[in-house]
Amino acid sequence: MAILMDLQSLLISLLGIFAIACAVGSWLTRDNFYSALYMSVAMLFVAGIYASFNLQPAVVLITLVFVGAVGIVTIAVAATYRARIPRKMNLIWTLPALVIIAVLGYVYSEKSISEVNYAVMDFVGEYFLAIIFLICMMVLVMLSAIRILRRVGL
Amino acid sequence: MIVAIAICLLIVAYLMAISARDLVRLLISLELMFSAVFLAIIPLFSISPSMAFTILVVAIFTSSAELLVLITAIVITDKLRKGVEIEKVSVGGDTV
Repeated sequence: MAILMDLQSLLISLLGIFAIACAVGSWLTRDNFYSALYMSVAMLFVAGIYASFNLQPAVVLITLVFVGAVGIVTIAVAATYRARIPRKMNLIWTLPALVIIAVLGYVYSEKSISEVNYAVMDFVGEYFLAIIFLICMMVLVMLSAIRILRRVGL
Repeated sequence: MIVAIAICLLIVAYLMAISARDLVRLLISLELMFSAVFLAIIPLFSISPSMAFTILVVAIFTSSAELLVLITAIVITDKLRKGVEIEKVSVGGDTV
C-alpha cells in the first residue's frame, strides 16, 4: 500500500511538472497557435492528475467540455490571429514568481497526498479505456491541424 | 503538493497575462488560471466528494461559458477595431 502511494505521488508529481512545463511553454512561445496548443496539453495533464485519483467523471468533463469544446475553439481563434508581435518580457515580475515557486516547492515537498474517497466515483471506472481513446483522438486531431496549417503556410 | 502545483500554474498564468500583447494571449492565460482552479478543487474530494464534484461541474460550465463569451468579444473587437491588440481596447471596450 505504501509503495502504491509512493507511485501515485510520483505520478502526480510528474504530471504536475509536465503541466507547469506546458504552461511555461505557452507563456514563452511567440505564436498564439502553439500557445493555445501548449495550454490544451497542460489542461490534459491536469485531467491526468484527476485520473490518477480515479475521479473519472471529472476527467471526462475537463477533457470533453473544457479542452474538447473551449480549447478547440481557442485553438481555432489563435490560428486565425497568429500574431508574431515582439512581446516585452517583464523580467522584474519573473524573479518574485520564481521565489514563490521555490518556497512552495520546499514547503510542500514533504507533504503527503490526502486520501480521496472513491465511493461516489467507482461506477464509471469501466469507462477508463473509452476515455483513453477519446484523449488519443483529440491528440490526433491537434496533430492533423498542425500538419494542415503547415501545408497551407499560415 | 496539489495546491503547490495549482499555485505554480496560477503564477505562470499571471505572468502570461502581464506580458500579453493581444487579446488571444489574454484568453489563453485565463484558461490556464481556470486549470489552476480545477486543481485546487481536488483536496475537497477527500472531505465531501459529492459537494466537490458539484463545485467542479459548476466551475467547468461557468468558466466555459465565460470563455466562449470572451471569444465572441475578441471576434467583435477585431471586427470593430481592426485588430486584437491590447492597445486597441483603450477604455474597457465601452463601445464594443
